[in-house]
Amino acid sequence: MKIDSTLLTSSLMPRIIVCLDVDKGRVVKGTNFKQLRDMGDPVELALAYEQQGADELVFLDISASNENRPTALKLVTDIATHLSIPFTVGGGLKKLDDVKAFLDAGADKVALNTTAVLQPDIINQTAIAYGSQCVVVAIDVNKTDEDLKFYINGGRKVVEKDFNQWTKEVAERGAGEILLTAMHKDGTGSGFDCELTKKISEQVPVQVIASGGAKNEQHFLDAFNQGADACLAAGMFHSGDYTVGRVKNYLINHGLKVRS
Amino acid sequence: MNMKKILIIDTKAGNLFSLKAAIERLGFSATILQKPNNEIFDAIVIPGQGRFGTVMKNIRATNWPDYLKKAHQQSKPLLGICVGMQIFFEGSEEDPEVTGLSWFKGKAEALNFPKKPMVGWAKLTSKINSWSNAIVYFVNSYAIKQSEFSIASTTYGESFCAAIKQGSFVGVQFHPEKSSQAGSLLILQVLTARVGESQ
Repeated sequence: MKIDSTLLTSSLMPRIIVCLDVDKGRVVKGTNFKQLRDMGDPVELALAYEQQGADELVFLDISASNENRPTALKLVTDIATHLSIPFTVGGGLKKLDDVKAFLDAGADKVALNTTAVLQPDIINQTAIAYGSQCVVVAIDVNKTDEDLKFYINGGRKVVEKDFNQWTKEVAERGAGEILLTAMHKDGTGSGFDCELTKKISEQVPVQVIASGGAKNEQHFLDAFNQGADACLAAGMFHSGDYTVGRVKNYLINHGLKVRS
Repeated sequence: MNMKKILIIDTKAGNLFSLKAAIERLGFSATILQKPNNEIFDAIVIPGQGRFGTVMKNIRATNWPDYLKKAHQQSKPLLGICVGMQIFFEGSEEDPEVTGLSWFKGKAEALNFPKKPMVGWAKLTSKINSWSNAIVYFVNSYAIKQSEFSIASTTYGESFCAAIKQGSFVGVQFHPEKSSQAGSLLILQVLTARVGESQ
């Protein structure tokens, strides 16, 4: 069934989501030399992005290391204490207990990627225990020779499953949203994969967040016009090249209704 | 001035941390209780996470229904959020066999839109000045479509009640605790009984 949401009226506004990578309690940014550069305190940066007009935040790898689990949970609680927009945590959640620990610490949603593929029942279990709205399934997809393959373990391991089927399966199992990262776009600065976003957005009955490739405001306009429910970016905001507010002003000037 | 004391009812159906933090950011004290006690509170919040059936079951397992009725009769500000608003109606399509508190006529029905849950920010339509055009965060698959007590609406496939008000009770379908400054303002108005209609 093709979903044509454009035929129905909705007051929902396209969302801009800022992604922050966290390592050892700090926001970090990878460089060409695979070294991590310290970008600052997660709570301070989170509040700065809320001020800029970000609609949501995603914290990745906050939970990656087991040894730092108590620190990571405390950080999530600190963020929830100060931030008044929704936020998602992801990376390294290996079992339902991990998911529970982070939701109980104050996260609004969890992003599941590798774990969702290895133990798909965790999607159902989280949706039953906390509701679908808490479950974001992240899918890292790569386009090679017109073929779409998706990956786990941070893009290092290909999954021998059909990508399209997987997008439908996660929605059936109770995912509330799909975070679709186009690996072939990541870091290129050539914009989101709008065609792919449009296709997936029309075939699954949940919202689709486009990720990978954003470098300027035009890329957001293109993705939203093609049916992305939300767009996620990191680098172009962390570098200071753009504020969320500047992108939103551009969208408003081009006729989109966004929160400002 | 004494710090206002706010009671958050623990419906045991989700994390109340963000809600408590949002209320404390307004300068109020917030206490989470699993069952009523003799403490006096200035206002009461009924949170909005979990399924309709689960929240109803947990509310009915204690004497919260009587407690809330009495508080409403005393004109104490009450704020029901999402499912915490829906339970004051007669029921929900989410759990059709469960009866709600039935303070208000009507049932929560599934939203008529292919993508569910509704997730994200939407603008309110309201006759109340400070609520009109407020942009707030929604996360729901069910909603009260119409009510004589509606004070704000929004659209997802069709129009539904974004907020209702009857006496000192205000119910909101959205999550004001996740709605940035706009949400904080609305929480403040409800808990201090300052939701005024301009018409």
